[in-house]
Amino acid sequence: MKILVIDDEPVVLNSCRKVLEEGGFDVYLVPSADEALKAMKKEVFDLLLVDVKMPKHDGIYLMQKVKEKWPDVPIIVMSGYPTPDTITDGAKMGADAFIAKPFTPDELLETIRQVIQKEDNHGKK
Amino acid sequence: MFSSTRSKLIASFLGVSFLVGVVSLFIGGQLLYKSVLSEATNRVGLDLNAAREIYQSRIKAIQCPLTITSLEPAFRAALKKRETSELIPRLETVARRAELDFVGIVRKEGDTLCGVGKNSLRCKAVEITNPIAELVFDRKVPVSGTVVLSKEFLSAESHELADRARIGLMPTPRAAPRAEEEETSGMALAVAAPVFEEGDLIGVIYGGLLLNRNQAIVDTVRDTVFQHEIYKGRNIGTATIFFNDLRIATNVMTPDGKRAIGTRVSKEVKEHVLTKGKRWTDRAFVVNDWYITAYEPIEDIFGERVGMLYVGVLEAKYADIRKKALSVFVLITVAGMALAIGLGYILANKIMNPVHQLIKASQQVSEGSLTPEIGPISKDEEMRILQNTFKDMVASMERRRAEAENRLLQSEKQSSVGRLAAGVAHEINNPLTGVLTYTHMLLRRKDIGDDIRSDLQTIAESTERVRKIVKGLLDFSRQTKLDQEPTDVNMLIRSVISPMENQALVKGVSIKFDPGENLPTVTLDRNQFQSVLINLIINALDATEPGGNINIYTATGLSASDTGHKGVEITIADTGSGIPPDNLDKLFDPFFSTKEVGQGTGLGLSVSYGIVQRHRGTIRVQSELGKGSTFFIWIPIEEDS
Repeated sequence: MKILVIDDEPVVLNSCRKVLEEGGFDVYLVPSADEALKAMKKEVFDLLLVDVKMPKHDGIYLMQKVKEKWPDVPIIVMSGYPTPDTITDGAKMGADAFIAKPFTPDELLETIRQVIQKEDNHGKK
Repeated sequence: MFSSTRSKLIASFLGVSFLVGVVSLFIGGQLLYKSVLSEATNRVGLDLNAAREIYQSRIKAIQCPLTITSLEPAFRAALKKRETSELIPRLETVARRAELDFVGIVRKEGDTLCGVGKNSLRCKAVEITNPIAELVFDRKVPVSGTVVLSKEFLSAESHELADRARIGLMPTPRAAPRAEEEETSGMALAVAAPVFEEGDLIGVIYGGLLLNRNQAIVDTVRDTVFQHEIYKGRNIGTATIFFNDLRIATNVMTPDGKRAIGTRVSKEVKEHVLTKGKRWTDRAFVVNDWYITAYEPIEDIFGERVGMLYVGVLEAKYADIRKKALSVFVLITVAGMALAIGLGYILANKIMNPVHQLIKASQQVSEGSLTPEIGPISKDEEMRILQNTFKDMVASMERRRAEAENRLLQSEKQSSVGRLAAGVAHEINNPLTGVLTYTHMLLRRKDIGDDIRSDLQTIAESTERVRKIVKGLLDFSRQTKLDQEPTDVNMLIRSVISPMENQALVKGVSIKFDPGENLPTVTLDRNQFQSVLINLIINALDATEPGGNINIYTATGLSASDTGHKGVEITIADTGSGIPPDNLDKLFDPFFSTKEVGQGTGLGLSVSYGIVQRHRGTIRVQSELGKGSTFFIWIPIEEDS
């Protein structure tokens, strides 16, 4: 299972890789929205973990682009600024889940598990 | 100045007293005086009757001796024999006794036999009419009364009599014009009685009293009727006998102190009394002064109006009474007006002083002072209410100003802290993610020693604390729109209390909820409000020792600051440690906490404050150290719904 993590903060990227690899996922890391779109053209990902606040293009922009081309890829939004506005904006753009930074490994894995399960249920239907 | 309440008040007092004064002046001066005057006029009328009686009695006093004499046999015999030497002493006796001016005998042949006067034996060639004797011859009965005697008759009786009768006419204002310059005739009281001898009328005995210059009658009237009453050196009562319109006997005085003989009556009175024969009772100008007078005509033996009888009372006495009464009334009026001014001034001061003070106080308020000087509280109820209301108004303004200032300060603090908090939170969260995940990843490893694991545990816990603080900061800085919906406050409180009851039970604190009845629904953000309530109840739990209570009430209430806005008030009271007065001000400040380090973020109450404020509500606290604290949350209800 391939997960693409997009965040401008290296420590977050590395943390995610650490946790997700431990969880048995293939992890791909990119530092910006543009890099993410480039990567997605090359490869098919099963899940996107997107930070909202990034320089140049933010997570909302990326989600728009992704939903245009790959509407089936589930997206988890993460933010260090988890206001209701951020959460609603993300949900409107089609985010499947929201996770507030900072998170523990268990919290992250649990969120991903829930999204995948939901996706599976969806797929079965 | 003249439009001020004070002058209006004084003016109205003055008006009233002036009106009362004028009315009493009018009543006193006119009505009372009129009644006094009419009383006096009545009295003078009665006095005139008395005067007439005196006048008549004088006639009777003449009549008696003359009649008796006429009946004496010796006298009759002497007359028949014409024994003048016998007759004259008798006549003289009669004249002396009856105080007569003239007495005489006329024979049936028409000649005067004899008299007491010097010229009584008159020259037979001259025909002198003796009106009274002639009337007796005519009627053959005794005759008595007033009679006018000619100059010739008087001269025939005696020259002295004629002289006494002659009265020079003095110029008198208001009198009817008269051609002659002196009066030579006389008016007399006379009596004549027939003398019969054996059925034959042999003569007539006559006698009388010349009224001209005879003051006896008028002075008797004055002295008996008016009892010689003196007013300012003058006799109050006066009496006069008029021959025609001429004063022939009087005690009315001229200014130079002489009897006003020779003066005449006014044309008006003459017309009324002599011409028309009526009685006059009214004030009249007599000689030189006003009198209250009564006049009546005097008729002679033939029934002709030949003169008048007068009595009068000096009006000055009554005028003086009026003057005195008037001056008393004027005095009362002036005193009343002075009193009115004084009273009005004092009253106006009493009323207006607090008003002026209030005006000054309002000016002070408008200039920005909220501690104006109102002055002593008035005893007057309305004024007291006004003053107290003014005081309350200023106090409430002061309170509201303080509240507004406080709120402004609070929200300024909040917004600056909020912006800072948001930035800090966002920047901290990324590295915190690293710390948190790596620590937990390390903790998962089996190949680490217990000491390292313990250290890692500490890192994880500390990081957890940081995470909480940052979350608190973010909550605090959140300027989100409220997700409001109509809410039953009682249900909301129940939903908050039930999960906390176990926690309270463990601590040994009882939570009681006393829901108010018929509470209106309030539109609010349930989630945010729940966190406010949770925060307050947790604080209360922390502050309360085992065995203590937490009591929660709800009620419909009016805003403490906003005027009359209706709302719902939630009261959370604990019996805990209380809050020191110094801390009460800072209670809602961000990062203010009395809890031990690690126990609280210092943001809970501040966040709660912000939430309640965004609901346009208020949160306030009362606390007594050692007894407990009570928090009041007031939320407005929508007036429209």
